[in-house]
Amino acid sequence: MSEPRAAAVDREWDAGELGCGELVLELRGRVQAMAPGAVLRLIALDPGAPADIPAWCRLTGHALLDHAHPVYLIRRKET
Amino acid sequence: MANRFCVSLTHAKNDPDKATVGFVVANAAVGSGKETLVFLSVEGVRLAQKGYAEDIREEGFAPLRELMDNFAKAGGTIYVCSPCFKKRKLDENNLVTGATIVGGAKLVEFLSDGSPCVSY
Repeated sequence: MSEPRAAAVDREWDAGELGCGELVLELRGRVQAMAPGAVLRLIALDPGAPADIPAWCRLTGHALLDHAHPVYLIRRKET
Repeated sequence: MANRFCVSLTHAKNDPDKATVGFVVANAAVGSGKETLVFLSVEGVRLAQKGYAEDIREEGFAPLRELMDNFAKAGGTIYVCSPCFKKRKLDENNLVTGATIVGGAKLVEFLSDGSPCVSY
């Protein structure tokens, strides 16, 4: 699968091997620190990430623009 | 979907793996925007003492102290079972950040709005 691309990536974060609660708690802080509508390019190597990151986006309302493990493009919600 | 999430944790150094994973899951909940409670009872109440968790470090996980600190910083709540705490003669003036000693009514109140609860 080719790497997902967005028109503009505002931030990048390589989460390395972080997973589960450690990953999403840190992800929360990083996304909250971004401006509404900004896009984060996340690299998450954890084998749970393909299931967890889409679930986290559904729970929090942030948009998962594209993903091809281990790369995830997340757009911060407007509010 | 319920906006609350509870993790019931009954272990401390008697099962550091469970103690650690309980807080990892709690951090997943608070990190997903849930109003999150960790309910410490039985041996788990020992985790509420400052300094107790310092040397709990399970392979593959962040140190428990760090997990607990991150949970509190993210706004997570820790309830500590009062009779379990008293039975072990622990120090109520030496609680970790975010911890409150409560009776069962506070737990029941938190869960009564339809909060799910997982147990470790």
